[in-house]
Amino acid sequence: MTSRERVLAAMRHQRPDRPPFDFSWGFAPAELHRLQAATGASDPEEYFGADTRMLRPSPTRLATDFSRYLGELPSGAYADEWGIGRRPSASTDAAHAHLDGFIYSLLDASSEEDALAYPLPDLDADYRYEDFAARVAEVQARGIAALAAMECTIFEVAWYMRSMERLLLDFADGSPFAATLLDRITAIREGQARRYAGSGADVICMGDDVGTQRGMLMSVRMWRTWLKPRLARVIAAARAVRPDVLIFYHSDGDVTAIVEDLIDIGVDILNPVQPECMDPVALCQRFGRRLSLWGTIGTQSTFPFGSPEDVRREVRTRVETVGASGGLFLAPTHMIEPEVPVANIIAFVDAVKSAT
Amino acid sequence: MADTTSCETRLRQAVLNGDAAAAASLVAEGLAAGIPPRTLLDDGLIAAMGEAGRLFEAGEFFVPELLVSARAMKAAMAVLDPRLAGEARTSAGRIAIGTVAGDLHDIGKNLVATMLRGAGFDVDDLGVDVTPSQFVQAARAGAHVIGVSSLLTTTMISMRAVVGALEDAGLRGRVKVMVGGAPVTPEYAEAIGADGFSDNAGGAVTLARRLVAMARPS
Repeated sequence: MTSRERVLAAMRHQRPDRPPFDFSWGFAPAELHRLQAATGASDPEEYFGADTRMLRPSPTRLATDFSRYLGELPSGAYADEWGIGRRPSASTDAAHAHLDGFIYSLLDASSEEDALAYPLPDLDADYRYEDFAARVAEVQARGIAALAAMECTIFEVAWYMRSMERLLLDFADGSPFAATLLDRITAIREGQARRYAGSGADVICMGDDVGTQRGMLMSVRMWRTWLKPRLARVIAAARAVRPDVLIFYHSDGDVTAIVEDLIDIGVDILNPVQPECMDPVALCQRFGRRLSLWGTIGTQSTFPFGSPEDVRREVRTRVETVGASGGLFLAPTHMIEPEVPVANIIAFVDAVKSAT
Repeated sequence: MADTTSCETRLRQAVLNGDAAAAASLVAEGLAAGIPPRTLLDDGLIAAMGEAGRLFEAGEFFVPELLVSARAMKAAMAVLDPRLAGEARTSAGRIAIGTVAGDLHDIGKNLVATMLRGAGFDVDDLGVDVTPSQFVQAARAGAHVIGVSSLLTTTMISMRAVVGALEDAGLRGRVKVMVGGAPVTPEYAEAIGADGFSDNAGGAVTLARRLVAMARPS
């Protein structure tokens, strides 16, 4: 089986030769350097033969001035194409800080007009996808599955602009500002989804973190009001172009409470299924062939703190308890942080490749 | 004459409903009816935030419900504070809280700070990416409890350095350390010599009360 055949078989619950794998959320820079030094591999995906590659649109040609929203940026900070001010960690080795500090561009906004006036990016513009189908075809020609990136689909990108506290208060208040902002983001994501689906990409990777270690960040009712219908529109836009494109949805934390809803609106694959707070076996038993699991090897537990044998055991356990009839894609549940022993990464790949 | 029990009950309900306008006007109503400001604070606002924390622990409230309750309490405090100023304000304790160096995640830390304020603690929020020496400074400045948060396993490991720095500074005898954050476990908290752990903002308030009682000379 090629990697791509393996991914498609597993995600359609046909039994592959072995479970597919990748390093979904990559490596912290310091860890990447250590891995490169230890293995001589410049590119871990190539070196280890990961079954997927993630593709993104071309860079924007817009040069929007966000200074009226961000003020003067502190040194080292920059604005991304959404106008989110990003400030890397100040006091320690930035090599292991995988989240930027945010400078919120819409913290003080309040009206629908504010939401309408805000300059959003052109992620749905044709020119950004001119070579996308060719890049997808190139990956697939190598026998590898092509993933199209759309993480931080709606909620996260909105709170990176607004601040989480303000956005959740907006939700509680039924704010027209927030509804308008989310609708505008959703429209851009629908355009992006159509282009991704039309490009022939195998999987569209959406996601918004709405889980915590103990359950939902917001009530299911609030999620159904504010986020579910909009995510449904983005998925529907992709499916209108290509009905069989696979939809992957990522949320950190325990989102068991919304899995049924996610399946209802067309999600095929749940990521990352953190074993520290979600039970892969229970999900498998409850949802069966309606859901595939992608991830499941814990980066809060086994990867940093286990031995190589612990990693092998976790892979074997997952294959035996979840992967028997397909529907399992093995990956670290988040970024591989600097304290993860290189031997554990090698053990992970070895264990996956020797699984049947 | 107003029914005092009813006013405080309605005040608690207004805070739990996140109704800022009602909470503010109920405080004004209670003051006008002669209810002592301290009673409105303790039996109205602080009791309501305690109940919100309990509902959060029980999985009935989520983060947005805590935020709207805290906002309602703040609106009520704007009315109540000038009247409390005349009384000797007794704080539930002084707590310095921050996200450990190298980590910029602050959602959980902010929520804990909000709930601690709601419970009547004086909270010094040190922000994110806080070095061990900044925690030591806060302890020197009089904090009874140091609250340390991390979301990453990488930075969780450096929580131990905060405990060590407090020891090195000779402050460990009089300051208590509480830790939390997604990857943190009770076993880990114990292993690094922290005094307590909570996996949620409601539990953090209960823990802080216990630790302040241990840290503050009675």
